[in-house]
Amino acid sequence: MSSIDPSMENMLETFIYESTSLLDELDEIMLDSEKSKSISEKNINEIFRIMHTIKGSAAMMGLETLSNFAHVVEDVFFILREDPSKLNLVMDTLFDLLFQAEDFIKAELDAIQGDGNGPDQDPSELMKKLEAQVDIMNGTAPSQSKDPAPAADTQPAAPEAPAAPSDGEHKPASLSGNGFHQIRVFFEDGCQMENIRGFMLLTQLKDYCDELESVPANPQNDANLCNEIIKNGFLVRFKTSGNPEDVIKVIESSVNIKSYEVLESQPDPEPAQEEQPQAVTSQPAPAAAPEPQPQSQAVPKQEPASSSLPKVPKQNLINVNQVKLDQLMDLVGEIVTAESMVSSNPDLKGLQLDNFYKSTRELRKLTDELQDVVMSIRMVPLSGVFQKMNRIVRDMSKKLNKDVELDIIGGDTEVDKTINDSLSDPLMHMIRNSVDHAIEPPEERQALGKPVTGKVTLSAQNIGGEIVITIADDGCGLDREKLLKKARENGLLTKPESDYTDKEVFGLIMLPGFSTNTAVTEYSGRGVGMDVVRKNIEKVGGTVNIDSTLHEGTTFTVKIPLTLAIVDGMEISVGGTIFTLPITSIKQSFKISDQTPILHNTDGTEMIMLRETCYPIIRLYELFNMPNAVTNLEDGIIIQIEYGDRVGCIFADELIGEQQVVVKPFPLFLSHYNIKDCGLSGCTILGDGSISLILDANSLLKSYER
Amino acid sequence: MDEILNNSIDDLNGRYLTFYIAEAIYGLELKHVIEIIKMEPITPVPNVAYYIKGIINLRGKIVPVIDVRTKFSLEGVPYDDKTCIIVVVINDMQVGLIVDQVSEVVSAEQAVLTTPPTAGGNNASKYLSSIATFGNRVVLNIDCERFFMSDLGSGALY
Repeated sequence: MSSIDPSMENMLETFIYESTSLLDELDEIMLDSEKSKSISEKNINEIFRIMHTIKGSAAMMGLETLSNFAHVVEDVFFILREDPSKLNLVMDTLFDLLFQAEDFIKAELDAIQGDGNGPDQDPSELMKKLEAQVDIMNGTAPSQSKDPAPAADTQPAAPEAPAAPSDGEHKPASLSGNGFHQIRVFFEDGCQMENIRGFMLLTQLKDYCDELESVPANPQNDANLCNEIIKNGFLVRFKTSGNPEDVIKVIESSVNIKSYEVLESQPDPEPAQEEQPQAVTSQPAPAAAPEPQPQSQAVPKQEPASSSLPKVPKQNLINVNQVKLDQLMDLVGEIVTAESMVSSNPDLKGLQLDNFYKSTRELRKLTDELQDVVMSIRMVPLSGVFQKMNRIVRDMSKKLNKDVELDIIGGDTEVDKTINDSLSDPLMHMIRNSVDHAIEPPEERQALGKPVTGKVTLSAQNIGGEIVITIADDGCGLDREKLLKKARENGLLTKPESDYTDKEVFGLIMLPGFSTNTAVTEYSGRGVGMDVVRKNIEKVGGTVNIDSTLHEGTTFTVKIPLTLAIVDGMEISVGGTIFTLPITSIKQSFKISDQTPILHNTDGTEMIMLRETCYPIIRLYELFNMPNAVTNLEDGIIIQIEYGDRVGCIFADELIGEQQVVVKPFPLFLSHYNIKDCGLSGCTILGDGSISLILDANSLLKSYER
Repeated sequence: MDEILNNSIDDLNGRYLTFYIAEAIYGLELKHVIEIIKMEPITPVPNVAYYIKGIINLRGKIVPVIDVRTKFSLEGVPYDDKTCIIVVVINDMQVGLIVDQVSEVVSAEQAVLTTPPTAGGNNASKYLSSIATFGNRVVLNIDCERFFMSDLGSGALY
């Protein structure tokens, strides 16, 4: 891998971001095209544009391997663009090659992003194969030739072709000897900032040359030099002990260069020549004529894309660092808290302040609005994550010789960026599991009377403040007996087998160290999958549910909160302490009278009968060991809470009121203690500056079950 | 700039903030100390070690507080207006320490340092790094790493 020019480091992030999004785009196009078994003209142009951009920006970053590689891919599409009918010649191999090419670029980007010294991949094989495709399309190699070897030196009609022969011509003429070489470079018309581009070119060339100077000198210092460069070109004079061809290559691969010409090398330059290069060269000066001169060995740079590319409408999007968004979110949280600190300040009690309250109401309205906007900024559609799954299913079904189709529903559902990021891994795992373990090989499916093509459905929808994602397959389903046997072998059973409900049995697969597949494949079977999936999802406050019918399929249902940061909470007091209960988990609250039947379970826990159903009562003061709380059920209040399919009641002193609160995690220092397992999900700062603990219906109800 | 920074860190090294716990003077390396605040209402948190009294709101930051008396297995006393919370930073995490009274900042240069005995003593002695004698006063210097070991290690104490 080429190392990165230090001067470019600050642009690296942008480069990686841009290239990654381009690759994602490419992925989508390729998958679509493969499905329809052809590439539409629009898509060919699109792929060409993507490769062209990657090539250009990689060259700007000084990543030669990457830019050369992208160039070869670009070549393929250059031909296809000229004559789409040639696609048929290479159809079969092209898609696989392109996916491989895409993976190569991705891996390179990852390596750069890592320590900068990632695995040095050798793209030459892949490049040869791609070049072979070019030859096939040009008719210079036998169609479907499996041997790419002859391709290496025969590529007469390849887009770079005009350059190749001229290389041979000008080499003896101008680039022999160790004197100064001169190259005049013309930038594309209207590419702007010619002086900076010249400077960047010099920076790129620096490593190849022993001595390097330019006319005009130090172009970066004066923007007025632009016109001069446009008119006379940018003259680079250099001396190198290496191969001067390398320098030419760098210039060739640079972006926005329309043409360049190699002037005669000068064994002994004089100062005057630097000022007036036109005077000393035998060629006529290219005064105001950037066109290649017949006498000078001008090489028009292949930039066919620039002219014919469709004008992309200007996008009103900016990229923002997520750290800044997090800061903004924190700030808004503080403002929401500060606002309620002001408007419900204890000092205001009993005062008649009509105008003040009018203003605070206005303030409240604005902070609410601000909060909504900031939240919406953080929302991203799931389609990005879902799109990745397409690729995984495609690759796996090819490798495993299975016929699997991925159906994506509701990719436009939006979730908080943090949640979106943490969903990618678990989803990938579950999809892999479905394709690898659940979907049977085609022959087996046929024998079972199922459609030969297996189907995995990935869907997302927004249900009442929660995102529900389901991954359903029509594979073999989970086998209760098999799961129990495996759990028995691993000593994971805690009660008699017959006591396990189907749900509990399915839940076993999410225990650490549980894998039903005896054979470990490339994709799954090491038993580290599902428990990690569950952990990752629980980390963002979600739950996983499994449903399965033997021989018919399995459905994973993932429920996650829409956003983590701000919740609508009900404040309830217990023994002088204020707890916050998310409103989404409250079903109802009520007072009970003497007549309400309270039942006692065999272990002494209380239950209440509501509309013919029995619910447990969790006394919060008992759970949290708090003195001074109301202990008589009739004096306090019962709140019915639910999470998923679990429903129960909690007992508190009184309800205080509704408030929006900003969820703060418990301090890291306390992470060794299992606070979250005893019914609390975090804490929040109330209007008066005191801390309130946020109750978590999920773990409250779970803790009762234990 | 770097020099100034180094100097200021050098200034902190070898200096201790001293405080009282049950008549004894303890010292805490100044480089760990962020600030001293007066006692604040503490919100108790369930399921944590007995000496972690709960969490406080330090200007929007949630900071856990430890009662040093309880941690040293000493009898707790009601908090009064001399009771302080020393906010320290350990592994980039802020923690408040409830102490009886804050005394002063001393420099170890002027003191005679001895190593603490390895055996015997109360629960407090196992957290000591050195014992400094300033004339007739004795300061027991606390080793922050050891003091927080049970909270930072993988095994949680209940």
